[in-house]
Amino acid sequence: MTMPLLGRMALALSLSAAAFAPVSASAATLSLWARASSSNAAQHMVDLWNESHDDKVELTTIPDNQMVTKLATSVQAGDVPDLISFDLIFMPDFMKAGFLTDLTATLGADPNQEKVAQAFKDLATYDGKLFGTGFTPDVSILLYNKDLFTAAGLDPEKPPTTIAELQDYAAKIHATDPDNISGYYFSGSCGGCNIFTQAPMMWGSGATLLPAGPDTPVMEGPGVVEVLTMLKDMWDAGIIPESAESDTGANFTATFETGTVGMQGSGGFAISSLKANHPEMNFGIAPLPGIKDGDQSSFVGGDVIAIPTGAKNPDLATSFITWSLTDEAQLEGLAKNLILPVRTDLADNQYFQAEPRYITTAEAVAIGQTPYAFHFNDMVNADQSPWLTMIQTAVFDGDVEGAIEGARETMLEIAAD
Amino acid sequence: MSAISQKSAPMARAQRYLIGAVCVLVITLMLGPIALSFFASIKTPAEASASPPNYLPQSLSTENYQKVIDYQAGLFTYASNSFLVAGMAIVLCLVLAVPAGYGLARFRLPGKEVIFVLLLAPLMIPYQAILTPIYLNFSKIGLANSHLGLAIVHAVLQLPFSIYLMRNAFEAIPREIEEAALIDGATSLQVLRRIFLPLVIPGVVTVMLFTFINSWNEFLAALIFMNKESSFTVPIMLVSVRTGRLGAVDWGALQAGVIVSILPCILIYVLLQKYYVSGFLNGAVK
Amino acid sequence: MASIRNRHLGLIYVAPALIFVIAFVLYPLGQLVYLSLTDTSLLGGGEWVGLENYEKAFADKSFWRALWFTVKYTVVITPILMGLGFALALLTSNNSPLRLFTRATIFLPVVIGLGTSSLLWYWLLDQQVGLFNKILLDLHLVEEMPVWFTKADPALAAVIISVTWKVIGFGMILFVAAIQSINSEVLEAAIIDGANYWQRVWKIIIPLSMRTLLLATLISAIGSMLAFDQFYIMTGGNPRGQTFTSVYWIYQNSFISFKLGYGAALSIILTAIILFFSAIQVFLSNRSGTE
Repeated sequence: MTMPLLGRMALALSLSAAAFAPVSASAATLSLWARASSSNAAQHMVDLWNESHDDKVELTTIPDNQMVTKLATSVQAGDVPDLISFDLIFMPDFMKAGFLTDLTATLGADPNQEKVAQAFKDLATYDGKLFGTGFTPDVSILLYNKDLFTAAGLDPEKPPTTIAELQDYAAKIHATDPDNISGYYFSGSCGGCNIFTQAPMMWGSGATLLPAGPDTPVMEGPGVVEVLTMLKDMWDAGIIPESAESDTGANFTATFETGTVGMQGSGGFAISSLKANHPEMNFGIAPLPGIKDGDQSSFVGGDVIAIPTGAKNPDLATSFITWSLTDEAQLEGLAKNLILPVRTDLADNQYFQAEPRYITTAEAVAIGQTPYAFHFNDMVNADQSPWLTMIQTAVFDGDVEGAIEGARETMLEIAAD
Repeated sequence: MSAISQKSAPMARAQRYLIGAVCVLVITLMLGPIALSFFASIKTPAEASASPPNYLPQSLSTENYQKVIDYQAGLFTYASNSFLVAGMAIVLCLVLAVPAGYGLARFRLPGKEVIFVLLLAPLMIPYQAILTPIYLNFSKIGLANSHLGLAIVHAVLQLPFSIYLMRNAFEAIPREIEEAALIDGATSLQVLRRIFLPLVIPGVVTVMLFTFINSWNEFLAALIFMNKESSFTVPIMLVSVRTGRLGAVDWGALQAGVIVSILPCILIYVLLQKYYVSGFLNGAVK
Repeated sequence: MASIRNRHLGLIYVAPALIFVIAFVLYPLGQLVYLSLTDTSLLGGGEWVGLENYEKAFADKSFWRALWFTVKYTVVITPILMGLGFALALLTSNNSPLRLFTRATIFLPVVIGLGTSSLLWYWLLDQQVGLFNKILLDLHLVEEMPVWFTKADPALAAVIISVTWKVIGFGMILFVAAIQSINSEVLEAAIIDGANYWQRVWKIIIPLSMRTLLLATLISAIGSMLAFDQFYIMTGGNPRGQTFTSVYWIYQNSFISFKLGYGAALSIILTAIILFFSAIQVFLSNRSGTE
């Protein structure tokens, strides 16, 4: 794309103006875009930074599903924020498109970066270069209702450690009151929800899910068939409520809050919201199980922070990023507000002591993974994505083999694009 | 109505009651959803997402509104931006649509039909598709990230309806009034200002009302065009405030948001009601 | 009165609006045409590919399914909006206080944004937290809790209920205007001739409102063909992508799959289709019109 003449003239003018301007000590304001669902966490970090720095950071909240569009158009228009915090899953697409600034020299040399959860390090690397780091992580876990466990004669301190146990427990919980109580819940029309909560049960067992390129394995290995079959069986037996089929994610949290669901894959964020809105609820947190005991895994989600290409204050923005990895920021900005730190060495910290459920989630960050895939939106999040179609065909239509075959075909098509 | 008068009295009464009952039913159907939404908005957040739901709140709470009012930059900032953009869009729309309606209605233009169809073009294009090109153009001429730029887009979207309405409003004015003025030696602009404008006020008000409503509620362009929290409009905030992780909906905040976005529209509607009704009666029939 | 001298004067009045539309709609539309001939993506690209996107579009089953669904939506909702709108106009066209008030409340949802009303109904119809189902149950209108969004037809019905509530007042007010502008002498003459109410509706009111009816039908149908918000908010294209409308599919391609060039091609095809059918409609109504 050629730069319009006017733009070049303006750039030349501003450069020369900058060259002649006296070096001033006046403070700058950095703009930080964060997606809505992590803006609360980002706000805590921003507040903490602003307390102790002359250069201020200003937060702008972008609705979740508009973040990609917003960043892409702003890069094309050459008008980007200084910092951007977004779903880490988009890192590969953005790095490949050249939207982000290479931080290998600065961030890569930072000792704190070493201690960041592996999933973030993996996702922020492209072509051997580092483009960002973890900012406000989240992690998937199994959420279960202890009261319903007790009512079903199960030990509330012993959540399932395999998917067979999960299915067994769900059936027992459902059996206590088949008309009103469900054993398990998932949002059946939400691709993102299910990559977050069902996929770890598959890859924890050894499966490879999304293609890394045109000729790589897709939906292969142990776990894919087993997990889909388990969900299908529970659906057929009425253990999962009917409303699951049409839930596009709107009731991803509301359903468990009604107290009629035994277990559900959810995220670490659920702890704070349940404690705030339903203090009476007696719930537990466990890692998501796999086929065998020891296959437990998790999806490391949440946000990365990076600097868009063409940002005006890259040095200052980099210092904000390195600051965000310090003990102070991790503990006082995140952990103190009961948000997971990105550094795994700080999982067990003073603020989490009072609530062991947070430690479970913080430990899940260390064992968790995040798929490294291009076109993630197309493959998983889109309203008719092959990932979602696979789950729906397998669970609601009952065709597990056909569902997997269909997903493979479409995903490879997308990967080849 | 005379239809009733020719029938016997008891039948007429029965008919009147029937019509009355239908009216009441219709009123209930139209107002019910808004009323239920209002009741839900004053529930506690936990009760608002309860399943099964209650019709009426078990306990009153302003928590949902508090959340909407305090979100990020604060409702006041978003509302000011929205009013500013809507105000500019209204001015732009009137400045363009009133003369255009006048020109189309009262002059014999070359290629009138073609011009009219061109002016209605925004109606037939999926506007979501042209937002990206418009945004990139605007960023070249410095209109991106400005409320004026957004107001221009909102005005353009509203232009076909406005021009159509104004054209009809001007057409409805009897020719004699204009001719008398022209004989007196008035210019066309004087005729427009002194004689026509007062007569098309209902049409003007209708244009204002609809431009306001559509600008106040527009989401996609506002999001693409604005870059800063402090310059966002109400709809952007409402989308953010109600969505949680992975698209989970905060039902309480959603209801408060629905009421917040409905309120100014209804207020303006009620205040201007006598104008816009005649705006339609005079304008829209032709 | 309008002499030749006036012709250019008229143009001056129309010019600002025309320039605006050319600059902010037709010029971007031209850019869209160009975009549709490239492989531009939100993530970059921009190579000239000729008609490749169009070839792809003609083979894109999902697009044609979405278009077909949009046509179905339009064909179902337009008669409902027109018929019900006209019935409500008949109900409220004379100016007694109760009827005036009824008319005002029917028009009320028109001033609410489409996005807002879709959210409102999305909530009312939600299987878990919605009150609409509860009302139906409590009034014994249904036996079992209806589920709206797991099958395509009930999902379509749900959207139609919501949109009807939102826009019915618009058609109604146009029809009220048309009915009230009918010369009362004509109606009185019919009464003297012994025509009953429904005969007068069929023989006089409807024929004399025909122009408004046709025009409202056209505007309403174009609006339905461009439907997006209501489906985006209420169904999300579900179940299984069966409720994608054309514009939704364009949005999906342009912004979710980042394929701006392809999305542009789909937009151009859709615009051409709408233009074509609008032209036919205008042609037919001009021929049968009472001009």
